[in-house]
Amino acid sequence: MNRFTKNLHYFSPTGKAGLIILSLFFLMAVFSARLTTHPHDVSSGKALMPPCFDHVLGTDDIGVDLWSQLVYGARISLLVGFLTAGISGCFGALVGMFAGYTGGWMDRFFMRIIDGMMVLPDLPVMIVLAAFFGPGLAQVILVLSLFSWVFTARIVRSRVLVIKQKEYVIYARISGAGPVYLMRKHLFPEVLPLVWVSMIRLAGKAIVAEAGLSFLGLGDPTSRSWGLIIYHATRFPGIYYTRFWTWWLLYPFLALSGMVLALAFVCRDLETLADPRMNQKISGGV
Amino acid sequence: MKPESGRIHMTCLVGLVALILGSCTGPRTPDLPVMENGRVEVLRMEGGDWGYPTPFAHYPRGPGGFKMALIFDSLLERDETGLIPWLAESWEISDMGKTYVFTIRKGVIWHDGKPLTPDDVCFSFNYASKHAATWATVFGVIEQVETLGGNRVRVRVNEKGATLLYALGTCRIIPAHVWRGIENPRTYLAPEALIGTGPYRLTDYSQEHGTYRFEAFDRFWGPQPRVRVLEYRPVGEPILAFEKGEIDLTSVPPDLVPRYAGNPEFALVKSPAFWGYRLVFNMEKSPPLKNTRVRQSICLAINRDELVEKIARGAAVPGEAGILPPGHVMYHKPKITYDFDPAQAVRLLQDQGFHVADGQGEITGAPLLDFHLLISTQEVRMAELIKERLGQVGIMVHLISVDGKTRDARVRDGDYQMAIIGHGGWGQDADYLWSRFRENPSLSPSTSGRCGYLNPGLNVLLDKQHVALDPALRAKLVADIQEILAEDLPELALFYTADYTVYRPATYDGWMAMFDHHALSHSKLSYLDRKDGVH
Repeated sequence: MNRFTKNLHYFSPTGKAGLIILSLFFLMAVFSARLTTHPHDVSSGKALMPPCFDHVLGTDDIGVDLWSQLVYGARISLLVGFLTAGISGCFGALVGMFAGYTGGWMDRFFMRIIDGMMVLPDLPVMIVLAAFFGPGLAQVILVLSLFSWVFTARIVRSRVLVIKQKEYVIYARISGAGPVYLMRKHLFPEVLPLVWVSMIRLAGKAIVAEAGLSFLGLGDPTSRSWGLIIYHATRFPGIYYTRFWTWWLLYPFLALSGMVLALAFVCRDLETLADPRMNQKISGGV
Repeated sequence: MKPESGRIHMTCLVGLVALILGSCTGPRTPDLPVMENGRVEVLRMEGGDWGYPTPFAHYPRGPGGFKMALIFDSLLERDETGLIPWLAESWEISDMGKTYVFTIRKGVIWHDGKPLTPDDVCFSFNYASKHAATWATVFGVIEQVETLGGNRVRVRVNEKGATLLYALGTCRIIPAHVWRGIENPRTYLAPEALIGTGPYRLTDYSQEHGTYRFEAFDRFWGPQPRVRVLEYRPVGEPILAFEKGEIDLTSVPPDLVPRYAGNPEFALVKSPAFWGYRLVFNMEKSPPLKNTRVRQSICLAINRDELVEKIARGAAVPGEAGILPPGHVMYHKPKITYDFDPAQAVRLLQDQGFHVADGQGEITGAPLLDFHLLISTQEVRMAELIKERLGQVGIMVHLISVDGKTRDARVRDGDYQMAIIGHGGWGQDADYLWSRFRENPSLSPSTSGRCGYLNPGLNVLLDKQHVALDPALRAKLVADIQEILAEDLPELALFYTADYTVYRPATYDGWMAMFDHHALSHSKLSYLDRKDGVH
């Protein structure tokens, strides 16, 4: 806790605001059932009711309460974001550590795969893959993870290449430490902050990508994620000429933007903390 | 606050205010060309790929078929009131409806300059009998076709039929000198395949972009085109495109009707409710659906009024158990009705020994009803409401969402348990019930979706009306058929949409709807000068 408080001290005001917003969204996701009075997947009022006492953010075209959808949608966005970040972050870290530590042809092999995946335009390929796998939340997470691990792997590999040349690692190896021991005891703790930063950044990208895929009709059609709420709203004929967009489209858009901005702010400050050079500057009182 | 961030905030604020004000203001008036002497150079409409516009290669839905009809004429045409002479100047029916003699118009030429002859008409009927067109109106019907003197063609059919004049009259006439020897017309996509006698020629088509361009045929035999060029191109937001003048006609959601109503710059037309959605059951893939009581429970559990209110925003008519829409000339209100009654649905299911919700959300009883519902991405919201309502009586529904063309193909191939399919043609002759429940399934979505349903009594009535020539007898038979359909519910009509269409009369005012079809842009007569009639 003390360490957290100490680290919090290094966060900028925007970073702190990001943490607060993220915490609010987490609380929203965890206590969804307590925060809503209407179901999020069943109609509970007339269609397209503007915000009122009973439905604070109004209802959508089939009469489902929008506040409930936003609250439960936070679960989906966070689930997609952090599960994708978790899967791709862990996998990318393992590949990066392995490639960086072993070097040689194995390193070149993984690097060429990573290079190949990095030059592929991710959104069009994701659209093709999502269409191939079919709509569904698990498929979306899988597709996003497939494309996200490469960035973590590249960063981790670079860091491992530096660390493995350090004297204490060389001494440990001379003293008989095996690769698994070295990775677990020396390399992994060193690269962990970078993995965290990378995962936070991936979470933001995954949330936006999920919204994008849902917006294109390639997500789970019944998931009620924020992206899907926006998708249904924009599919409503002539919505921009009605007042409906002022609640049906605006609130999920604000929620999505809020979460992505919060993640970006937190990520930026974490980068500052994790980057050794930046850290030195901070320690030096800059 | 830094000056830069202040400016950014101010810009965002101004943008937001502009957006809100923009949504509150009325339609803008772009500088558009107007008609001169009732004629216009170009009309633009919403596009999309609907196939190559030959009678064999177009996609089996209205936007595909009616583009094809701009190029290819038929012996008869449909106006606001019924069938009118077209390539046939006149016709006679004899031999108790088994012989049809058409007098073919003289002076008609193909787009390549060759004259239309009665032999071309004979060839077209024979070819359509051998190779089913996408809209196969005469496939398997014709016994013999021969030319008589005086530019006449005699068609003998296998058996008499109430709608054979319509079927023969709307069969597309193709040039014998082009199509003779073509064994696989569906893959024949040469430029010559687009030679017809119609008022328009295709001058550009891009399957990838979904664009079409038709140009008026200078030597067209009939009423002269009032529009020289017809362009179809995809638009992202049809209302926006209409208001910017990028398209000249669009359908309007009911919420936007006040935006145009009363404004002399615009004309609003309410279409007849002849475009509808139906819930089809595959009794072969899902045996519980063979049980009539289960189908009746589904009907009782679905609130069709709610679908009209929420999905169609009020611009629709709830589906009828007897299938024919209330606006149909042969509509009959069945004695048995299915008002929204979930409690009755539960009772029916309990009587049949199925697991049902007991009103407290609990499940009691024996086997659980659990179905996959196939939908296109357009029908997700409707399907969600249906899923919700069926869930309330203990019927579990899993949605399978695919694109529209995949859904059409899967329904046609019987690859579904339950499916929602929407199409036009509900106002056509009631013989479509025969096509839907008796005939072999065709390519058209409007007749697909019958799997595993068999009622010999219904079949007898369908066959009788199919050949009945006495209108009164036929009306009685069709009424009886609607009673049986309402009792059996082999499929469920959900609702029939009654859309609004808006256009600018100053830009073009020739729009018309055929007597049995809803869309103003579909009839070729919409683009022709009909003030002197068809001579």
